[in-house]
Amino acid sequence: MDAYLITIGTLIIIYAITVYGLNVIVGYAGQISLGHAAFFGIGAYASALLTTKAGLSFWEALPIVILLSGLIGIVLGLPSLRLREDFLAITTIGINFIVEALFLYVPYFGGALGIGGIPRVVLFGVKLKGMAFFLLCLGFLALVIFICWWFTRSWGGVACFALREEESAAASVGISPVRFKLLAFVIGTMMAGLGGALYAHYMRFISATDFSFPMSITFLSMIVLGGMGTLWGPLLGAVLLGILPELFRPIVDYRILFYTALLLVMIRFQPAGLLGEGSIVHKWLILKPAGGRP
Amino acid sequence: MTDTLLQARKLSKHFGGLKAVDQVDLDIHPGEILGLLGPNGAGKTVFFNLISGVYRPTGGTVHFQGDRIDGLPSHRVAARGIGRTFQIVKPFASLTVLENVLVARGITRYGTFRRLWGPWQSKSETRAALETLERVGLAELAERKAGLLPLGNLRRLEIARALVVGHQLILLDESFSGLRHEEIAQLETLIRRIRDDGITVLLIEHNMRVTMGLCDRIVVLDHGRKIAQGKPQDIQENDLVIEAYLGSRGGRHAA
Amino acid sequence: MQLFFEQLLNGIAMGSIYALVTLGLALVYGILRILHVAHAAVYTVGAYAGLFCYSHTGSLLLAFLGGMIFCSILGVAIERLVYYPLLKYPPYVPLIGSIAIMLSIEEICRLVAGPYILTFPATLPFPEFQLGGVTISSTLTAVYVITTAVLGLLWFISTKTELGLAMRATSQDIPIADAMGINSHAIVSIAFVIGSSIAAIAGILVGIYYNQVYPTMGTVPAYKTLALIVVGGLGSMPGAVIASMLLGVAETLLIGYADIPLPRDALAFIAMIAVLMWRSEGLMGSK
Repeated sequence: MDAYLITIGTLIIIYAITVYGLNVIVGYAGQISLGHAAFFGIGAYASALLTTKAGLSFWEALPIVILLSGLIGIVLGLPSLRLREDFLAITTIGINFIVEALFLYVPYFGGALGIGGIPRVVLFGVKLKGMAFFLLCLGFLALVIFICWWFTRSWGGVACFALREEESAAASVGISPVRFKLLAFVIGTMMAGLGGALYAHYMRFISATDFSFPMSITFLSMIVLGGMGTLWGPLLGAVLLGILPELFRPIVDYRILFYTALLLVMIRFQPAGLLGEGSIVHKWLILKPAGGRP
Repeated sequence: MTDTLLQARKLSKHFGGLKAVDQVDLDIHPGEILGLLGPNGAGKTVFFNLISGVYRPTGGTVHFQGDRIDGLPSHRVAARGIGRTFQIVKPFASLTVLENVLVARGITRYGTFRRLWGPWQSKSETRAALETLERVGLAELAERKAGLLPLGNLRRLEIARALVVGHQLILLDESFSGLRHEEIAQLETLIRRIRDDGITVLLIEHNMRVTMGLCDRIVVLDHGRKIAQGKPQDIQENDLVIEAYLGSRGGRHAA
Repeated sequence: MQLFFEQLLNGIAMGSIYALVTLGLALVYGILRILHVAHAAVYTVGAYAGLFCYSHTGSLLLAFLGGMIFCSILGVAIERLVYYPLLKYPPYVPLIGSIAIMLSIEEICRLVAGPYILTFPATLPFPEFQLGGVTISSTLTAVYVITTAVLGLLWFISTKTELGLAMRATSQDIPIADAMGINSHAIVSIAFVIGSSIAAIAGILVGIYYNQVYPTMGTVPAYKTLALIVVGGLGSMPGAVIASMLLGVAETLLIGYADIPLPRDALAFIAMIAVLMWRSEGLMGSK
């Protein structure tokens, strides 16, 4: 397969893994997170540091990376999720800026130069690159999608969903708002951490600016476009927004304007996304809404 | 104390300078239907919210089956076995009627981590949820999307949800409000049946006829204070009560 | 000591300008409960519009007027075309819309006026002062005078006029305000006119103060002012002013005087989180 396509495809898959996590937070539990790129970065830096400075392999580092992302998610999420929705949006923006500042200013994280020389992932003694790495990422994506699917069928998932629909009614039937918002948040940050780790070993060089606030907006745009709270929306959004820059190479100067205008149009007229209920795609394909559940 | 299901002592809630509920004492006995009456702004819904954990009391205590529950958040009060409905109905609109009740059935699992990962639409749970729907007369509408239901059925749905959670006590917040004549009669029968099944009911209601006919005892609030309690006939003849309703508020039908 | 005093004065000026921008944000939040991130884009447009008017007419007065009018139109357009129709959705929907608007406007500024930093070589017709051995430039004086005038005018409108009363009623509860005969949608639009005009003034002042106008000049204020309205207590106007002044002074002193190498944006958010830990409604918010 064309090497160029594989390169783009791998990045799209990595982004998709990350935004599936965001989809759990925003789409399933209805919590606004504008700092997802921070957790993507935490995963990337953690894996990079563990494999370069501590000499661990990707596989040895991975459980630590995911747990760390979840742990930091709890630490940052617990105080934030107790706050009202509006506060949460601003707090997550703040998390993004603060984490980025830490990466940039604390010398251990390489400062402005970032971290380089990140090794490739080795599986059964083989260094994975190109198609092989693409397939590895695809495997992780399948796992992530499976977890999301399982979540929507579990008691945890329906609790988050009920919380999103009607918080006080959910509380009156025993659903603790903080606990379940936190559960969704942590699942989301762990997936972001996984995406970040794969990103680090893909790019083999990372720096703080990869994980700044505009990246959080990009992630959010992907699920807005694809459909928040749907099972395939994040993938669709990642694919569309991943392919678009390539399609728009000729008018690269207008690219950002196109993105933001697209985001604006989507959110104004189709807030549920392309795969969401009531969308043009839905009506066009005459899809029957499946009982309203995600 | 042992034959009191719920006991509120000197329960108070202040909002800044406003004393919405002021030193109210109230006992609920098992198996009774207790009505909470009072003109608009008397503090009835605030009182409910104090018991169900939506508000923290400014003062006073609430005991349920001997344990203190004041200050507990809503989900913990629910876990103790107190269910409630809301004055403005809050169905999970995009779920079906059956699914609305199924959500409530998770009450035994939401507190544990391990049991969260099981599938929520298992056969046994679905059966149990259907039984509850039959109890309230909504079994035929099980597959209908809740958001499409008319008010009367939505109130039943709220009661169904409350029944799953409240196997000892349910709080009904103006469940008769906005209902048509036939619906009112049906709801009265339902509530009596619920009580006969052994569940205690505390209800807020503006409809006088319903309250007098349905309740075993009545407590009347005015300006946050308890001004009367007793059997319906006694309340009807109580001067303070009449004054509260017909006094400075005017004789308007409490809307 | 002189340096300290100088930086203190700069900090107060900075804080005053933050206050102008943050006030517009607090105003909108108070009425619509929407985080109007795009407000910073209005501020940027104000700077450009003011520069345009100035370079074509040479008159600062026209620059301010032109900026205010243009931004008012922009602000109301945003409110009517995007925010109002999205009010029925959960809050993150209009928030995402606001962010999209802000980024789009930044891009349009870049495409129309170029990505380069333009200069705003105007002198504000205010006197210079000598105070305690430090020179207060005319620009600095202008900032103090203009912001005080604007804040005073706002306070007057808010507390002493019927409009102010109507605005406070609408911000409490739109349906009730409607029932009282207030045309709440008109009030909302007026709030945007006021907020956007103030943003324009702030943009022009900043453009002259730093002699720089560029497309991304709104990015940093966008997120910083968000943190500021949280610290001040969402929707509280006095809180917004106090928080802005505190941050302006703290930033300038810490970075300009004490030379602590903290990133400016992170500082605002760190302060915000610290305040939220202490008082979860912000300095002057109500639960």
